Amino acid sequence: MIIIGEKINGTRKQVGSAIANRDADFIRDLALRQFEGGASYLDVNAGGLPGREPEDMAWLVQTVQEAVPDATLCLDSPNHAALRAGIERTDKTPMLNSLSGEKFRVDGVLPLACKFGTELIVLPLDDNGIPQTSNGRLDIFRRLAEMTRNGGLPDEKLYVDPLVMAISTGTDNGNITLETCRKIKEEFPKVHLTCGLSNISFGMPLRSILNQAFLVLAIQAGMDSAIINPEERELRGILMAAETVLGKDRHCLNFNRAFRAGKIGPKRD
Amino acid sequence: MQDLVNAVVEMMEDEAMALTKKYVAKGVPPVQIIDAYKEALRIIGKRFEECTYFVPELVLAGEMMKAATELIRPMMTESASNLGTPRIGKLLLGTVEGDIHDIGKDMVHMLMDINGFEVLDLGVDVPAQRFWEEYTKFQPEIIGMSGLLTLAFESMKQVVDLLKDRGARDNVKVIIGGGQMDEQACKYVGADAFATDVVAGVNICKGWVGQLHDGTT
Repeated sequence: MIIIGEKINGTRKQVGSAIANRDADFIRDLALRQFEGGASYLDVNAGGLPGREPEDMAWLVQTVQEAVPDATLCLDSPNHAALRAGIERTDKTPMLNSLSGEKFRVDGVLPLACKFGTELIVLPLDDNGIPQTSNGRLDIFRRLAEMTRNGGLPDEKLYVDPLVMAISTGTDNGNITLETCRKIKEEFPKVHLTCGLSNISFGMPLRSILNQAFLVLAIQAGMDSAIINPEERELRGILMAAETVLGKDRHCLNFNRAFRAGKIGPKRD
Repeated sequence: MQDLVNAVVEMMEDEAMALTKKYVAKGVPPVQIIDAYKEALRIIGKRFEECTYFVPELVLAGEMMKAATELIRPMMTESASNLGTPRIGKLLLGTVEGDIHDIGKDMVHMLMDINGFEVLDLGVDVPAQRFWEEYTKFQPEIIGMSGLLTLAFESMKQVVDLLKDRGARDNVKVIIGGGQMDEQACKYVGADAFATDVVAGVNICKGWVGQLHDGTT
């Protein structure tokens, strides 16, 4: 499972002010903690107010990279100038978050991904919004996959986010996402599947157990990456347990290693 | 009709509909039936604020209300076709350009409607120019802009700037809503208020039209 740590996100208040105040210690700590929690990729979103974003992104990239040189950065912005500013400062080829069928992303993000050969998160939505059916999402992804292939990006570099909608507003929203996973994986076996998990529980009580249940089902549907808070100990345990029982952990080695390292299960004193 | 109020509040969809039909058959005036629904929705809103009800209950409440009004509407006389109560104000609503999130916006639409506002909902990804055009035609007291992404700040600001350019800013209240909204965003956009939850936003709007009607703006 490829974990993309979600916490360095300037739209979160504390992170936003750390960026504005150039509080490198705060950012470094956040990066380090997530990496140690198992996130090999770190999402980096400069957020905040527009105009300043490229400059903020450049500073964030440098700060995070210094703290955890082994992590891959996932540059998260709709603004191609900010993405570009980030790409130019990364030592390791970053991942870009994200391409969709929206015209401004096709025009702005796709050329950058192709030019720099980055990994790329792909959202199957377009200027008409998010399709309500798995087939609608598959159609958009087919169009996008043709573009990325033509641009020289192999399918292995794509991380498709099947789009998770709140279960609170549509009883079938979970099933639509899981179905989308299965269909995409069947037609494009080499792509990765990732998701912003916590959307599922928007507007609900006890969000964490809903997130956990959905993560398990998503893993069974082919999800091999997730954008999460890697410091959530219970979620990490559930994730590893699900992979293990689904036969994705040979001889259960990862699970038992994580146990011995004290990274899953009840916290020991 | 306390039984109808209770059925709606307790999310008994079938029972609420059966009671509604029963009261219609008995000849109860449609306005009274709608009032029972409104009372139920007031309680549901309160439970939402108290965190015993959540988004699914609001969604289902909206569906029950809709089903009831569809049943009753054909029976209403011309004079009562606005559900009996005069509208207390007008709200122009939309998710701003570049953003397509609509959960919050749709709930605002429903609750504002229930609270007596006439709502014109422009949908999602609405450009500033469109807000302006619809504003001039609809002449609302309030413009509500929704957005979840920080990208939305810029689009919201464009709407307010356009209002300023055309000299209309002082004639209308502007509220922005969404999970990322805060004091700083509100100031940047130039809005009068912000809300991060639906019920809070609706209460702010109700306060505004109350003031307008008192002449103490």
